[in-house]
Amino acid sequence: MPDVQPATVSCESLQSYEATHVHAIYDEIAPHFSSTRYKASWVGVDLGTGNGKYLPLPADRPGSVWTIGLDRSINLLKIAKRAGDVDREVVWADVLDNPWRRGAFVCISLPSLRLNAQHWGLKRAYQDYAISIATIHHLASPDRRKFAVQRLLEAISPVHGCGLIYVWAVEQDDLSKRNIPARASQDELRSGSFALTGNGQDVFVPWVLAQPVEPKPKTRKQRKKAQTPVEEPESAPLATDVPPQIFNRYYHLFSQGELTELVMEAALDVGLVVGQPPEVDTSGKRIRGLQIVQDGWEMSNYYVELRRWEQ
Amino acid sequence: MVRLITHNLLACHAKGCTSNNFPLLFQDAAVELRDADFNADFLRGFLPRLEWPALVGAARQLGDTSLPAEQPDMLDDDFLQKLHHVLLEIHVEEGAMVCPNCKHVYPISNGIPNMLLAEHEIG
Ligand SMILES: C[S@@+](CC[C@H](N)C(=O)[O-])C[C@H]1O[C@@H](n2cnc3c(N)ncnc32)[C@H](O)[C@@H]1O
Ligand SMILES: [Zn+2]
Repeated sequence: MPDVQPATVSCESLQSYEATHVHAIYDEIAPHFSSTRYKASWVGVDLGTGNGKYLPLPADRPGSVWTIGLDRSINLLKIAKRAGDVDREVVWADVLDNPWRRGAFVCISLPSLRLNAQHWGLKRAYQDYAISIATIHHLASPDRRKFAVQRLLEAISPVHGCGLIYVWAVEQDDLSKRNIPARASQDELRSGSFALTGNGQDVFVPWVLAQPVEPKPKTRKQRKKAQTPVEEPESAPLATDVPPQIFNRYYHLFSQGELTELVMEAALDVGLVVGQPPEVDTSGKRIRGLQIVQDGWEMSNYYVELRRWEQ
Repeated sequence: MVRLITHNLLACHAKGCTSNNFPLLFQDAAVELRDADFNADFLRGFLPRLEWPALVGAARQLGDTSLPAEQPDMLDDDFLQKLHHVLLEIHVEEGAMVCPNCKHVYPISNGIPNMLLAEHEIG
């Protein structure tokens, strides 16, 4: 690489000086310069990925986003690892675990990237993220649900990480889609005058497992028959004589405002300021925070979209 | 799957194991090679996230010595192709990953790493 040389800035006109020595050059080298800048590669984790439904997203830019699926169910992971008929990365773990190296979902050379990103109007391009869809409601105490949120907050970049959480709502029918304010204010939470009640409802939601007819060879004659290759019907008929098995899944149905409170309390517990980043850096001291970008109710779920920030 | 892109993100999280817990070491790894779509932009964007020495070391453990010890300045096509292969086309299907610090063993089966801990091992 050629050496960096001292430049003498001639003062006739700084504007034309920059036009010659900066702007014209960028125009000239633009395609190559652009190819040396880091482009968007999002990295994220789907906490409670299930069958990996969300791993292929976004559908229009396959390969630009890398999402790892985490779940406790090995059999769902076996499906998730081929979600969208592509090899996916999945990890068998609990949402209460943190099996990631420090900064796993953080861009290591972030400061310069961030500057570049802002400069090139690509700010969102570098955000790392975590989603947890319809999973945290399976944890059976307010504390465990809070710990799960904290693991999510730890997994994303403290500077720019985004998160999205969905849980089932007590309100399972039409409701206003307007934002629902949290019941407790940040001050109440901080001063401890408000305790997490988790006052949604603990319920069992039945899953009816319809059993396809399985050839259950009982006698020798039948077994022999089962082994002869015969045309299978298009779809396996459902057994009518076998009663369907019912599995009751535990859910904590969230009440109005409860998820937002949970996220706020989780953030305050780990020393984050809850709210928007301050406009100007006054203290010179580094502060980290969490902003609730959006929250509300949507199709029987409560959701919170959050963003971490640092100043 | 455990590909090296994922291995590069995982660390031991057993109780009390907070230092020297990365990168995990492969043990008895059974490897499968499968083609993946090449995406140069994605690889460039991913580079600053990688723990480079860990990636190089893990690739060597799996018998791939194509990557240079130092991350190069020039990201030419030849380099990106090698990176692509190492990150995305080597699948560890069976075996285990072992913590260099506490020696906890995380088994890999059907390409899925088992990062679960027993109750008493949770930090
Ligand atoms: C209702 S499914 C949602 C799956 C997927 N996110 C979706 O929306 O289609 C809930 C998932 O959470 C997983 N899950 C429940 N508790 C978990 C825990 N403690 N750790 C990890 N996964 C958990 C279940 O195995 C299941 O895959
Ligand atoms: Zn360890």
